[in-house]
Amino acid sequence: MAQPLEKVDHRDAKLALAHLFVAFTALALGGFAGLLQTLVRSGKFELPSGISYYTILTTHGVLLGLVLTTFFIIGFQFAAVSRTTGALSDGSRRTGWIGFWLMTIGTAMSAFFILTGKASVLYTFYAPLQAHAGFYIGLALVVVGSWVSGFAMFAHYARWRKTHRGQASPLLAFMSVTNMVLWLVCSLGVAATVVFQLIPWSLGLTDRVNVLLSRTLFWYFGHPLVYFWLLPAYMVWYAVIPKVIGGKMFSDSLARLAFILFLLFSIPVGFHHQLLEPGISPFWKYVQVVLTFMVIIPSLMTAFAMFATFESYGRSQGATGWFGWLRKLPWSDARFFAPFVGMLFFIPAGTGGIINASHQLNQVVHNTIWVTGHFHLTVATTVVLTFFGASYWLIPHLTGRVMTKAMNRLAIIQTIVWAVGMTFMSGSMHVAGLLGAPRRSAFSTYGNSPQALEWIPYQIAQAVGGTILFIGIILILVIVINLAFFAPKGETEFPVAEAAAPYERAALALENWKLWIGLVVALILIAYTVPIIDIIQNAPPGSKGYKLW
Amino acid sequence: MAKLITAARQTKQEKEPALKGTLASVFLLGFFIIFSWVSVYFLFLHRL
Repeated sequence: MAQPLEKVDHRDAKLALAHLFVAFTALALGGFAGLLQTLVRSGKFELPSGISYYTILTTHGVLLGLVLTTFFIIGFQFAAVSRTTGALSDGSRRTGWIGFWLMTIGTAMSAFFILTGKASVLYTFYAPLQAHAGFYIGLALVVVGSWVSGFAMFAHYARWRKTHRGQASPLLAFMSVTNMVLWLVCSLGVAATVVFQLIPWSLGLTDRVNVLLSRTLFWYFGHPLVYFWLLPAYMVWYAVIPKVIGGKMFSDSLARLAFILFLLFSIPVGFHHQLLEPGISPFWKYVQVVLTFMVIIPSLMTAFAMFATFESYGRSQGATGWFGWLRKLPWSDARFFAPFVGMLFFIPAGTGGIINASHQLNQVVHNTIWVTGHFHLTVATTVVLTFFGASYWLIPHLTGRVMTKAMNRLAIIQTIVWAVGMTFMSGSMHVAGLLGAPRRSAFSTYGNSPQALEWIPYQIAQAVGGTILFIGIILILVIVINLAFFAPKGETEFPVAEAAAPYERAALALENWKLWIGLVVALILIAYTVPIIDIIQNAPPGSKGYKLW
Repeated sequence: MAKLITAARQTKQEKEPALKGTLASVFLLGFFIIFSWVSVYFLFLHRL
């Protein structure tokens, strides 16, 4: 008799699904805004009067960069924790719902002020651009809501450890907790600038703002934010994909070590986003660039582990030669294909990141549309395609349905459409960036300067890519709606891989949270204490707010 | 018999899987990173 599938508790499933629905709603609205942007920047299309390019740019960035990602991640992690460590307690689940509603109310509030044209400050909301206070308060609610949800996960994890003394926690639970620790520590920076600088300033309680301090606190948050997006994708790669392909995880301890290294080295590195910023000593920029390069180690460990997982599986199926194992992978299974394409795109994405973080090379690409192309490879391809791939089993698992062959085929087409669209859009962004095209700004020929005219063909290519990507968004929404409401009833597995070596002692040492969080704090203090004192003590008078729209 | 099975399992576990494709893949990845980095570095030098 077949064993019943291990399932996420149905009450926890509702909590996870609520997060996923908000995430995909954000994808629909934010994706449409993205389409409009690429069309405007082609120079062939103008928005109807009254709508500003910067309003839709802010809508796109906030809804996709902050809302889609945060909601999907927290929903996915609640499901992963419930699946691997048992149903949440009533208290944890209630806390999770409080977190969800705080985030949702915050999102609605920020979205209202963006869409009414009172917060066209882009998703980085750099001072001295000044939004309506409601925008910042909404963002603060999103962050606080995510903390509340994080505490619900911590409490559940702590309870599991108390009842399983001497055992390493399940990998997905360990990874979810690591990611929430990372998020909690890094989002303190953005909370500090929003609550103590931007809200009083936008309410008129203070006249001027220390721009450099607010940007520094933003990037203290902004870079680990990228890893907060990436780590759930890595969870799928390490702990789910091996099971999907029918193989085993290469090493459980390697996966845990990679996550701890990401926790340590992804936070004290924000200055590599501020390399061209005056007011920060070159020495501290150098220190943070060195720490940034340390993050390459767990990224390459992940690349190695993925190749090794695939090759081990292929060889177990009789593959021969150097690359014969590639042929043994389940290319027609969208649960594998979408994340795999995401992994492939991470090769140029990660390479671009190393270029961005190198001081001299940063001068070539800084504030150009190369950077936009870069993060559309990292978050909008690697992360998002992995999230799509996870949705193909997660949503039917949570709704008690099964994905049909037709939907699987559509998901394969969706992945191909996404890859083609992104190759056009991000590829042309990279090239135009190297030719000096700026990011963020609306279409302009800059007085018909020859250099600006050179960018136009690439901007048209971006519009072509953006249009193809929008078709990809329509396809994924069709699939998600089908999986949530119309797919045949049945049971879908939540795949969780086993490690090739069943028990590795190193796993226990990697759950010594006092040690790891202590090291995180120490690294942050080393990297930030002196420069932040300098930024505060030697600050210029500060800036009043500007509303340039 | 049980001992034999355990010994066989241990041998199986100790045997490292052949990962020459992984080795080649990570080398290719490394070369791609170095090539891209050096290309942009030369662009930087060219524009000095």
